[in-house]
Parts: sequence; structure tokens; C-alpha cells
Amino acid sequence: MSNKLSDSVPTDREVVLGILNNSEDALNKLYVGYFPMILQFIINNNGDEDDAKDVYQEAIIILYNKIKSGDFELSSKLKTYIYSVCRRIWLKKLAQQSKKTNNVADFEDVVSVEVDLEYHEEKDLQFEKMGAALENLGEPCKTIIQDFYINNLSMQDICEKFGYTNTDNAKTQKYKCLQRLKKLFFQS
Amino acid sequence: MRNDIELDAIIEDYLQGKLTAAEAEAFDKLRANDPVIDHKVVAHKVFMDAIKQYGKVLSLKEQMDRAHAGIDVASLSEQLKPHPSFIVNMWRKNKSAMAIAASFILLTIFSIYSIQHNTLQNGTYEVMRREITNIKNNQNKLVRTINSSPKVEKGHVNAAKFGGTGFALTANGYLCTNYHVVRDADSVYVQNNKGESFKVKVVYRDPQYDIAILKIIDESFTPLSAIPYKLKKNSIGMGENVYTLGYPKDDAVLGEGYISSKTGHVGDTTQYQVSIPINPGNSGGPLLDNYGNIIGVITAKENQVDGATFAIKSKYILEALSAIPQDSLGKKVVFAKKNPLQGLNRTKQIDRIENYVYMIKVYN
Repeated sequence: MSNKLSDSVPTDREVVLGILNNSEDALNKLYVGYFPMILQFIINNNGDEDDAKDVYQEAIIILYNKIKSGDFELSSKLKTYIYSVCRRIWLKKLAQQSKKTNNVADFEDVVSVEVDLEYHEEKDLQFEKMGAALENLGEPCKTIIQDFYINNLSMQDICEKFGYTNTDNAKTQKYKCLQRLKKLFFQS
Repeated sequence: MRNDIELDAIIEDYLQGKLTAAEAEAFDKLRANDPVIDHKVVAHKVFMDAIKQYGKVLSLKEQMDRAHAGIDVASLSEQLKPHPSFIVNMWRKNKSAMAIAASFILLTIFSIYSIQHNTLQNGTYEVMRREITNIKNNQNKLVRTINSSPKVEKGHVNAAKFGGTGFALTANGYLCTNYHVVRDADSVYVQNNKGESFKVKVVYRDPQYDIAILKIIDESFTPLSAIPYKLKKNSIGMGENVYTLGYPKDDAVLGEGYISSKTGHVGDTTQYQVSIPINPGNSGGPLLDNYGNIIGVITAKENQVDGATFAIKSKYILEALSAIPQDSLGKKVVFAKKNPLQGLNRTKQIDRIENYVYMIKVYN
């Protein structure tokens, strides 16, 4: 069954180089290339398409961060790595839903990925916290913070976008928002 | 309030490395002296990292969602989802185990088949001497004609019990045939193509290679002219065209074929397997190649396999000859160095050979 994947899957080297160079194309190819493998795994083990999507995206994020962190070494094929990560994540989810996790139907080889997953969980927790904090922040603070810190807009742009009379006002507003966000983030 | 905003801006610039060298140095000092400010810097750094990471993951997710939208998930999952049939599921889950089981079964079948194949030739070896008594009664007429023939007045007129073929080894009357032809014989006669019969004595028996050497002891026998063929010492290759002359009936019959294997019955290396039609009575007949060399002695055939005839390699005739004590051999058996048949066509060769191939008649 895995031979269905053979077309359109980029080589491991292409993917690593592509991600290091922020190539959107490489990521897309990677994503499209291995999704069927994970979809097959999940829907044959008590999951549905959405579960597959969530698990797969998490695995890609893990891989992405690992490559970006610079100390990435190909100790196995990317395919095996992705499969192993997804398998681990999915088993954990099944355990959380207290579904039976023995007798998993496997379709690929598996390598140990525990360390990477632990590290990822930490990061993921932070991500969740930040997401929740931003949600609680409310508008317009959320957008101002996102524009400034994530989308890298200048104070000038923000000032115009939100109709502040001068940048000082905007800065004051941003400062207040930031204080609240920090409070929310660190307290949660 | 204003100071806080200024401080925040400076911390941000400091973390992003936007301060000038002098400013940065001043700020470092400030950090070192004021733990509150230092704490603010550290906290801000953690926060900045978190929000940057958040932004990155968010954009990555967006990108993946775009890629995801391009995949036809519904049809893919249709293909990949567990099959409703139990058997197909079973197959998918246990593919490797089944593959191993299947290859094991295949291997077993092949080994059993090959064992059976190896033993296929067992017990189907059939020597080709002719039992004449069975048809004796039907052949009264034939016997009568022989009786009335003036040529055979000296010959043995009773019907023989067994028949075979033999061929001359020397001009002074040494013949070669199969051991099984003359086994249990009380008396043995030979008859040439002109119908003349001579009494012979068995001078050497070799049951192992199934070879017997006969000597014509009849007074009416006049020495032959020089033997036209030659015994070949080396074995010959597969595919070589060969022929034989024999007496499955009362007249010489030509059989033509080729060497089909360098080993005989169940891999017997003393024999060739020859694809040649032979019948009871052919036993002991000479097997000749295209050049008129004798390469073997027809001895038996496989009765359940088509076209599998066996012939003893000529090498063993030579061994048999050398095993005969010199005194019983009398005069040393000699062979033509040059083969006079070489270059002649088949008809001419047979014409010459015919006179040296005898029907063997065995009485007991």
C-alpha cells in the first residue's frame, strides 16, 4: 500500500534543505507526500480524517522545529520518522480517550522518538497558553499585539490602521495590552 | 507610567540588538545593578520567544491547512479505510505473516516435487532382450521358411529363447553384447545378416557394467575382413547424432537418435541417455556416432519415459577387454587406428557395418 506514496514524494534531502531555506514548496510537497500514510494509519486505528489531520500536522511541526533548530541529523528516513511520531502521538491520544491501544495495525517501521516528543510537548503547552492568553486579551489588543510582534508591523502602521492620533498613543495602548497579555500568559 | 513605557521600549530594543554599543553597555550595567530590571528583561525575553514561536507555528499551520485543502481526503480515506470484509482486513493486517506462510508452503511443494522428480526413474529400468518363446507358436511359419532355407543347414534350427544383438570386436571372432542377454544361457548362437549361425562361447561376463564378451567357436566360421569401425575411448557430448543397428526382429533394423544426457539411469555415469527408438532385441547393439566410431552399447530403456534409452559407454568395453586374461583372449584384440568409415555417408557406413552386427540367440 505504501507504494501509492511513491509518486510526488520529495527526497529527504530536498525536504531538509527546503525547510532550512523557508521554501513553501518543499513543505507543501512533504505535507502532500506523506499524508496518505498517516491517514491510513489513523483510520485503521479507530480514528477519522480530522484526527489524522491533527496528528499529522503536529508531527510536521515537530519535524519542522527539529530541522530549524539546526542540530537535525537524518538517523532514519523522514518517512519512518514522521510515521513514528504520528504513531506515538496517536497512541497517547487513544490512551487519553481510554480506548484500547494494544493491537495497533502498523504499516511502516518505527523508530524511537520519545525525546523529540517530550520537547515538543513543552513547546506545545506554551503555544496553547499563548493562544488562550491572546483569546482572553480581547480586541483590539489581540490584533495590535499580533500585528506588532508576529506580523512585524511598525508602530506607524499600527497607528494608521487603528486610527490613533499619534504614535505615542499607539505605543501607550500597545504597552497596556502587552502588560495584560504578559500577566495572562505568566499566570495561566 | 511614561517611564515604564520608555523602559519597555528600551528592553525591547536591547533584546533585538537595536541599541548602540554605548547604550547597550550602559543598559548592561543597569541590569547588573537593578535586579528588578534584570527580571523584567528575562521575563520579556521568555515572552518574546513564546510569542515568536506562537506566530511561527500559527503560520505553519495556515500553510499546512492550505496544503491540506489540496488533498482529496475523502477519496483517499475511501481507499485506505479498513475494508468492511473480514477477510480483506485480515489480509491487510497479516500480510507479512501470510507471505511467509505462503513462501514456506511453496518451498515445501517444490522440495517434495523435486524429491519425487529425482526418484521418478526408480524401478522403470527395462532391459531390451527379446523373449522369443512367447511368440514361438505364432512363428511356425517363419521357422519353416528358415528350415527350408539352404543357407542355414549348419545353424541351430530350434527357436531361441532369448534374442539380442552383438557386434564384432575383432576379425577373429570376438563379439561384444550385454551381460543380461547371455545371462542364464546354456548355449549361445549368433547369426549374421546373411542368416548364417555360429556357436559362440561366453568368455567374459561383467554384470556390473552389463557387458559380455563372446568368442565364435564354430568350425564353419572364417575370419572376417578388417573391422571397419573404431572404439571411441573418450566420452562424447550431448546432442551428438548417433545411430544403432539391432535385431528386434529377424532382420537388422536401424535406429537413429542423439545423446540426450551424459548420464544414464538415475544419474549412472557409466551410461549415456540416448533419445533413440529401440525395442526388445536391441540389447547389445552398437551405438555409433556420425563418423562410425562405436561410442556405446545399447542396454535398456526407461519404460515410463519417452525416448530414454540407455547405452553403456564404450570405455567400459575396453575395460572389459583388458580384464580378460591373456590366455582366454588368445590373440590380442586389436583395433583399427584409422577409422575407414569416416567421411562415408550413413548408407555406406551401414553397408559396411551390417556384416559385423550379429543377432544373438540364447537357449536354456
